Amino acid sequence: MLIEIKDLYKIYNEGKESEVRALNGVTLSIDRGEFVAIIGQSGSGKSTLMNILGCLDIPTYGDYHLDGVDVTELTDRQLAHIRNKQIGFIFQGYNLIPALNARENVELPLIYQGLGMEQRHQRSREALERVSMYDRATHKPPEMSGGQQQRVAIARAIATHPPIIMADEPTGALDSKTGRHVLEILHGLHEEGSTIILITHDNGIAATAERIVRLSDGVIVADGTREEVGL
Amino acid sequence: MNITQAIKMAVKSISSNKGRSALTMLGIIIGLAAVIILVSYAQGQNAALRAYYESMGNNTISLYAYSYGNSGPQDVGSLIYDYCLQLDDVVGVTPNGYVYSSPTIKYESKTLSRNNGSGGIMMGGGVIVSPSGGSYNEDYPQIYLGNDKFGLCNDYEIAKGRDLSYLDVEKSNQVCVLGAATAEYLFSFADPIDKTITVNGMPFRVIGVYKSKGNTQIGGREEDQWMQESMKQMDRMILLPSTMTRYFNNNDPIQDYVVKVRDAGSIAKVTTSILGYLSGIIDTNNGYYGVNSNEEYLQQEDEATAMQQRFLGGIAAISLLVGGIGIMNIMLVTVTERTREIGIRKAIGAERRSIVTQFLIEASMICGIGGIMGIIVGYLGTLIVGKLSFNTILIPNPGTAVVAFLVSVALGIIFGLYPAVKASGLQPVVALRAE
Repeated sequence: MLIEIKDLYKIYNEGKESEVRALNGVTLSIDRGEFVAIIGQSGSGKSTLMNILGCLDIPTYGDYHLDGVDVTELTDRQLAHIRNKQIGFIFQGYNLIPALNARENVELPLIYQGLGMEQRHQRSREALERVSMYDRATHKPPEMSGGQQQRVAIARAIATHPPIIMADEPTGALDSKTGRHVLEILHGLHEEGSTIILITHDNGIAATAERIVRLSDGVIVADGTREEVGL
Repeated sequence: MNITQAIKMAVKSISSNKGRSALTMLGIIIGLAAVIILVSYAQGQNAALRAYYESMGNNTISLYAYSYGNSGPQDVGSLIYDYCLQLDDVVGVTPNGYVYSSPTIKYESKTLSRNNGSGGIMMGGGVIVSPSGGSYNEDYPQIYLGNDKFGLCNDYEIAKGRDLSYLDVEKSNQVCVLGAATAEYLFSFADPIDKTITVNGMPFRVIGVYKSKGNTQIGGREEDQWMQESMKQMDRMILLPSTMTRYFNNNDPIQDYVVKVRDAGSIAKVTTSILGYLSGIIDTNNGYYGVNSNEEYLQQEDEATAMQQRFLGGIAAISLLVGGIGIMNIMLVTVTERTREIGIRKAIGAERRSIVTQFLIEASMICGIGGIMGIIVGYLGTLIVGKLSFNTILIPNPGTAVVAFLVSVALGIIFGLYPAVKASGLQPVVALRAE
């Protein structure tokens, strides 16, 4: 298994009156090459789950093994390496650095990998061409539309050739046409062998996934194909 | 990530956030320049005051003594003269008397008298109305009675000819030495040496001319005008041998003396010795005596200057603080923005070390450049202030510049690193949530 989580809890203000159990005992396995959509109402804990899967956050309790490694045991530095090499994360709000242009944003994770300039240029070009944004390589995020920014963000996520791509509502802020375009890119990556984990509240988008996980109040209430989940 | 990449990233960050970088630099530039200029100003003022007091005669003690016995005034001058000369630290002693009356001075057709014309009519440049209603001639010189050490004791240097000699005084030779302004007034461009002037009709041969003191530039400010004026006034003088007192002052003994000592450190010692001697030879029921030295003025001035320097130092410290707060504000205002940026960098795999390194380089560059610019502005400002206020080339104290540079750069780096240190320790998801 690529991803294995067991009895995962994320509890805010534990023991206090304001205690919130964002994840209340989640057990989930995802295999290499799967395309998984995680759905649920807002507040169901799906973003919290995604952040923990993406090593952007740590669980309060529970196990998380990524490719056989116990992530909860890792140091801050080792986690940085996992985020850099294993996972490409696509955010709903794009999270590009506004002062850097498209190419520089895409090259940022490659710089942290320590790649030389030539290799970086080649990889960033490939990634930007992949999302049809190479002609905008010198534009800065504020000069681009939301869809363009999201495509640059995807290019950044795939530039390092990570085995796992995680997308948190990647189409949430986009119109349906650009949303479809983004989805096509993700499916293309899946066909090439990437493992895709996608969060969405859009049932139409979720329905394109081969496996759907439905969360409610911090627990998994359904897990299976479209028919099994009842979409 | 290697150091080259960190530097490139820092440069990128500085150049793509020009407003932020410029404001941060501005805080440093203003703080530094203000400190350098203010401290230099205080030091310039101190130097100007010292130059003034030094021009009045350095390491000197002025004393006055008067005594009368049954047969009238006694001449204690020769006693004082002999006593002072045998003291180790004394370099010279001179009577420092002056002619009480205001005799008319003539050279050929040129005449110098105390009052100019009559009735107090304004007559242009050199004439002012005296309070008594007469018209006072500004060019009229002070006529001193001194000896061969007069020039030494009062900081006059011979420009032409020679000074009074011991024999001139002993033999009451009818010779005189002129101050620069008086020589110019009487002789214009002619050589005064060996020409004869008359004082109250009595002929005196000019044997020398003193160098001008009034040309010493000590400042261009309004407050300095009186100093400048008073130094020019010192050039309006005629020195006669002290023994001439018998012709001009009813043979009154000269009461004032100036003693020049080796260095400032011996002033107090010599003053004490002289006071002790005077108390032994003068009965205060039948006379009086006293001593004062320039050192007392200088001490007072030093105290005043020290106070001023503390005051300006305080202002300088406040400037630095204000500059520092400016830097801090800019940095804190951008913490949110930068925290998000750090969150993004962490999310895509930056190690904490890379982020802190980048921010350290960035802050050092901004503060270093700002600091260097601040020093340049401070030096230029000091030169301008020096020219405008003191009419001289004022050079800032390098120590002040270095301390101010280090303080403001340190402040800048601390506040510049603050967001990096704070945000890079957060979970990426927390840093990304910063608003």
